Amino acid sequence: MYVRPREWDILRALADLGGKARADDLARKTGVKLTTLMSDVASLAEKGLVRMREETRRRAKLTEEGLRYAKLGLPERRLVKALENSGGEADIRSLSASAGLSGEELKIGLGWARRKGWVKVRKGTLRLLAVPRETAEEKALRALSEGLEDLGELSQVLPVLEKRGLVEVVEEVHKILEITEAGLRVLQLPRPEEEVSQLTPELIITGRWRSIRLKKFNLEAPGTPVFPGRMHPVQEVIKEIREIFLEMGFEEIRGPLVETAFWNFDALFTPQDHPAREMHDTFYLLEPSEGDLPDLRTVEAIAKTHEDGWTTGSTGWGYKWDAKEARRLVLRTHTTATTIRYLAEHPDPPVWVFCVDRVYRNERVDYKHLAEFHQIEGIVMDVGVGLRDLMGILAEFYRKLGFEKVKFWPSYFPYTEPSVQSTVYSPELGAWVELCGAGIFRPEVTRPLGVKHPVLAWGGGLERLVMLKLGVKDIRVLYRNELGWLRGVPICP
Amino acid sequence: MPVITLQKERFCSLLGQDLTVDELVEWLPWIGLDIEDVRPDYVKVEYNPNRMDFSSPVGIARALKGLMGLEVGLPKYEVREGPVEIIVGPRVAEVRPYVVGAVVRGLELDEQAIQEIIEMQEDLHWGIGRGRRKMAIGLHDLRAVETPVYYDAFGPDEKAFVPLDDEEEMTLGEILEKHEKGRAYGHLLAHAKVYPVIMDARGRVMSFPPIINSELTKIGPWTKDMFIDITGPDLEAVRKALRVLTTALADMGGRVEAVEVRYPDGTALRTPDLRPREAVLRVEYANKLIGLDLTAEEAVECLRKCRLDAEPIGPGLLKVLIPPYRTDIMHEVDLVEEVAVGYGYFRLEPRRPPSPKSGQPHPVSELADRLRLIMIGMGFTEVMNFVLTNERVHYELMRLEPGRPIRLANPVSAEYSMLREILLPGLMANLALNVKERYPQKLFEVGDVVLRAEGSETKAERKLHLAAVVAHSRANYAEIKGCLDALMKALAISDWRVRETEHPSFLPGRVAEVLMADEPIGIVGEVHPEVLVNFGLENPVAALELDFTSLA
Repeated sequence: MYVRPREWDILRALADLGGKARADDLARKTGVKLTTLMSDVASLAEKGLVRMREETRRRAKLTEEGLRYAKLGLPERRLVKALENSGGEADIRSLSASAGLSGEELKIGLGWARRKGWVKVRKGTLRLLAVPRETAEEKALRALSEGLEDLGELSQVLPVLEKRGLVEVVEEVHKILEITEAGLRVLQLPRPEEEVSQLTPELIITGRWRSIRLKKFNLEAPGTPVFPGRMHPVQEVIKEIREIFLEMGFEEIRGPLVETAFWNFDALFTPQDHPAREMHDTFYLLEPSEGDLPDLRTVEAIAKTHEDGWTTGSTGWGYKWDAKEARRLVLRTHTTATTIRYLAEHPDPPVWVFCVDRVYRNERVDYKHLAEFHQIEGIVMDVGVGLRDLMGILAEFYRKLGFEKVKFWPSYFPYTEPSVQSTVYSPELGAWVELCGAGIFRPEVTRPLGVKHPVLAWGGGLERLVMLKLGVKDIRVLYRNELGWLRGVPICP
Repeated sequence: MPVITLQKERFCSLLGQDLTVDELVEWLPWIGLDIEDVRPDYVKVEYNPNRMDFSSPVGIARALKGLMGLEVGLPKYEVREGPVEIIVGPRVAEVRPYVVGAVVRGLELDEQAIQEIIEMQEDLHWGIGRGRRKMAIGLHDLRAVETPVYYDAFGPDEKAFVPLDDEEEMTLGEILEKHEKGRAYGHLLAHAKVYPVIMDARGRVMSFPPIINSELTKIGPWTKDMFIDITGPDLEAVRKALRVLTTALADMGGRVEAVEVRYPDGTALRTPDLRPREAVLRVEYANKLIGLDLTAEEAVECLRKCRLDAEPIGPGLLKVLIPPYRTDIMHEVDLVEEVAVGYGYFRLEPRRPPSPKSGQPHPVSELADRLRLIMIGMGFTEVMNFVLTNERVHYELMRLEPGRPIRLANPVSAEYSMLREILLPGLMANLALNVKERYPQKLFEVGDVVLRAEGSETKAERKLHLAAVVAHSRANYAEIKGCLDALMKALAISDWRVRETEHPSFLPGRVAEVLMADEPIGIVGEVHPEVLVNFGLENPVAALELDFTSLA
C-alpha cells in the first residue's frame, strides 16, 4: 500500500492531536483546505488508516444583534458608561446621543439597567447607583465572539441571552477522525517520497528517475482525445474503386463537368425531345449558355443518324435535328459524356478506360437524391468482345468489391443494346441490391464516331455503394461534413 | 419509369398457366421487367419506356408466354373491313394535323379491364406521347355516337360539351381556362387560334384532343364496341400508339376493325396497320455481339420465344418478322438483344477477356491523392463539398465582390445557382456547421473549381484546387504558413515564395499571395473577423487555397 507524502503528514498531525480530532481542527493544524483534506482523508479511510464518524453537537451562536453588542457593549453597559461620563446624573433624552444608542436601544438599555439596579429614574433624570463590574452575560458574549465553544459555568446565562435574542442554539455535525492501528504503524515508517505522474527529460537526464516513485495510472480511463487527419469516407471508397479498375488493367479518364448537350446527349443517340433532356432533369447554364460543336463531319454524321439512321442501318428517330439544341451547355448528367468524348478521340481498339467522377441532375434533394453526385463507369472497346465478356468483367469488378453473388437480366438504356441490369447480394443487408447498369453501345452511337468494334459499358452511382458500405440511410449525410461523423466513421470497413 | 400491377389470379389466367408469386418473380425479370413490389396476390413491375407494349397485363403475358415456351412465334392480328370513317377538316392542319382511328368490337370488359385500359392509355400518353405532345388518345363507346366521325378545328366559343366525369357543359375556351385537364395540357395548344375537336355525324363533341374526352362517349363495362382516335403532330407516333393499343385490345378479346381516314386533299389512310414488319438479321453478328455460337435454327428458336418469327433467306441470314406492337426495334442490333433474351440471360455464362495493358491512373487523380496524403499527414481532415453553390456563401459572406461565375439557367433551389470558383467558402461553411465540435479543427479539401474559359469548347475549365483551414483559439498566420512550408517541401517545390497582398476575406498584414515560378497560384492568411462573424464562428481561422492544376 502506498501512502502519499501528504497523506502521511495528515496521519502525523492526527497522531499529534492525540489520535483523534475534528476534521476542521485537523485542517487548521495541517494548514490544508478542508475540502482538500477531506479527499485525502477519504483516501486514508479507504486504505484503513483512519476511521471517520460524524458527531452532532449543539452550540450557542451569536445572532446579528448579539454580535453587534459583543463589539459595542450591551445597551445597559453603554448607558451607564455615558451616565458615568456625565457625572452620574443626566437627562434621559440627552443620554441617547451621548451613549450613541438608538431609541430602541435606549429603551432596552434603560429597562435592563433599572432591572439590574444600576440606575434610578426620577422626573426624567437618570441617576447612576453603582458602576457594575463585567457581568456573566457580558463575559459569555465575549467568549462566544472569540469563538470559544465551551463556556463552562458561563453557560448558565445562555437562556437569558437566548431570550434577549442575542444568541441562538444550533446543531452542528462534526466529522471526527481517528487514527487506526494500521495508521499508527504507517507512522513508524519514514515519510514517503512524492509520486511523479510525468516522466520528464529532466528526471531522465539527472538520473532522479531512479529515486522517484512513478504514479500508477488508471489504465482503463479514456485517453487524451485524438482527432487524426483522415480521408473523407466517400473519397476512401473512390480510391478503393479506382484501385480495382487499375488492377483490372483500366486507364483512368477525366472530362469536363460543363459539357455541351452534343456530347452529353446527341452523341449518345438521345433524341432532342427525350424527357431526360428536359429542364427538370438537366441543369442548363444561363451564362455561358452555348458551347462549340466538334468538326462538321462528326456533327453531320450524328445529325443524320438521329434523323434517318444515316449509314448505321437504323431507322433513326425521324425528326429534324437542331444544332442549336446540341450547342446548349449543361452540367454533365453522366460520365458517359466523358467516355464518348474519349472514344471519339480514340476510335481504335483496345480501349479499356474508367471514370469515377461528379455528375449532376436537377433533382430536389432528399434522403435518396442529390443534385450533385458521383458515377462509376467502365468501358471496354475491343475486338470480338460481347455481352458475355461484359458480364464477366462486371462480375470480376463486383467480386473485387466484395460481392460474390451477382445476377444479370435484360434491361434498357437509350444508348446501349443489348442492355443488362445487375444486382449483387449484400450479406450485410441480407438482400439483393441493384448497383450497375450495363450494355453494349448502339451502332447509332459508335458508327458516327468511326468506332467499329463493340463498346462494352457499365456504370452506376457511387453513393449507393458508399451508403451500403457505411450503413448510411440518408444520402445527404455523405456531404454534410459533420466532424462528429467524419471523425467517427471507420476507415474502409 | 412506368409501373404496372399484375394481379396474380388474373395474370395467370392470361398466361394459361398457374404460377406461384415466387415463380412469377423469378420469371418476369427475364423479359426485362424490374420487380417493384411483391404481395401474396399481386406483383408490381417496372417496365422500360422502350417497351410500351408492356403497358398492359396482356402485353406482358404474351411476352412471358413466349419465353416460357407456352406460345411462341408471331401473334396474328386480323384487321377486318369496317364502315367507320374519319373525315378530316381543313383547319386542323395548323394545330394537330394527324389523326388515326380504329374500331374494336365484341368486347366483354369488367371494371378491372377498364382500369387496365385507362392506365395503358396514360402510360402511352407519357411514353410515346411525351406528355400528350406527340400524340393523345381518345377512347369512346361507339354505340353512343353516329358515324362518320369528323376531325376539325373550332374557335374557343364555337363548340361546347360536357367533359368526361363532369356534369356541366363547357366551351373549349372554358375548358382550357377552368378545367383541371385544360390547365394541365393547355400549353400544348398555346400557339393555336382554333382548337381540334373530334365529333360525331350529328356534330356532338366526342373529344377535345389533347385535353379531354366528352362524357357522351365514356367507356365502361357497358362498352361492347369501342372507337379509338389518336391525334398528334407526329404521324409515326400516332400510328405506333394505335398499334400498341389495338393489339392489346385484340388480346383482351376484341375484334379489330379498320377505320378509313380521309384528308381534305383527297388522300386516305387505312388504320390500324397490324401487319408484321420485316427486318434482316445476320446470325454471325448476333453470335459475336452476345458471345454465342448459335446455328440459324437455334437463333430462329430464340426469336420465336420473343414472339418474333424468322426464316433463313441465305447462309447465316434470317428474315425476321416483327409484331406490330414492337415499336422499339430500330436496328439489327435490337434483334440481337431479342436473340439474347430468347436464349435466356440466365443461360449466358460470364467470361473474362484478358486486359491488354496494365492500369493507368489519371495524372490529376494521382496529384490529388498525393496532396491528400500530405494534408492528412499534417493532421487535417478531408471534407467534400459540392461544386454547386450560391452567391451568398461564395461572395457575400466572404466579403468578396460578386464575380462572373458560371451560372445555372434552371436552379432547383436557391442553394445552388452557380459553380464554385474557389474552395474556401465551402470550408468556412463546414466550420460553421461544426462549431459545437471539439477544437482544434483542421479541414482540407482537394477538388474541382470551374472557371469561365471563353476560348474553349465548353466555355469552361476545370481546375484542381487545394484549400485548408485551421480553427482554434490560437490559430494564426504562422501556423498555416508552417503547413504551407511543409506542403511545398513535401511536393519538392522550391521555386516558390509569398508576397504581401490585400484580400477582403483576410486580415491586412496577415495575408500573402503564394507564387510558384513567379506565377500567383493562391493565397495564405488569417481570415478576417468579419468573415468569421458572417459564418457564426468564434475561433480565429487561418487558411490557404492553392491552384495546383499546373502540377498534374
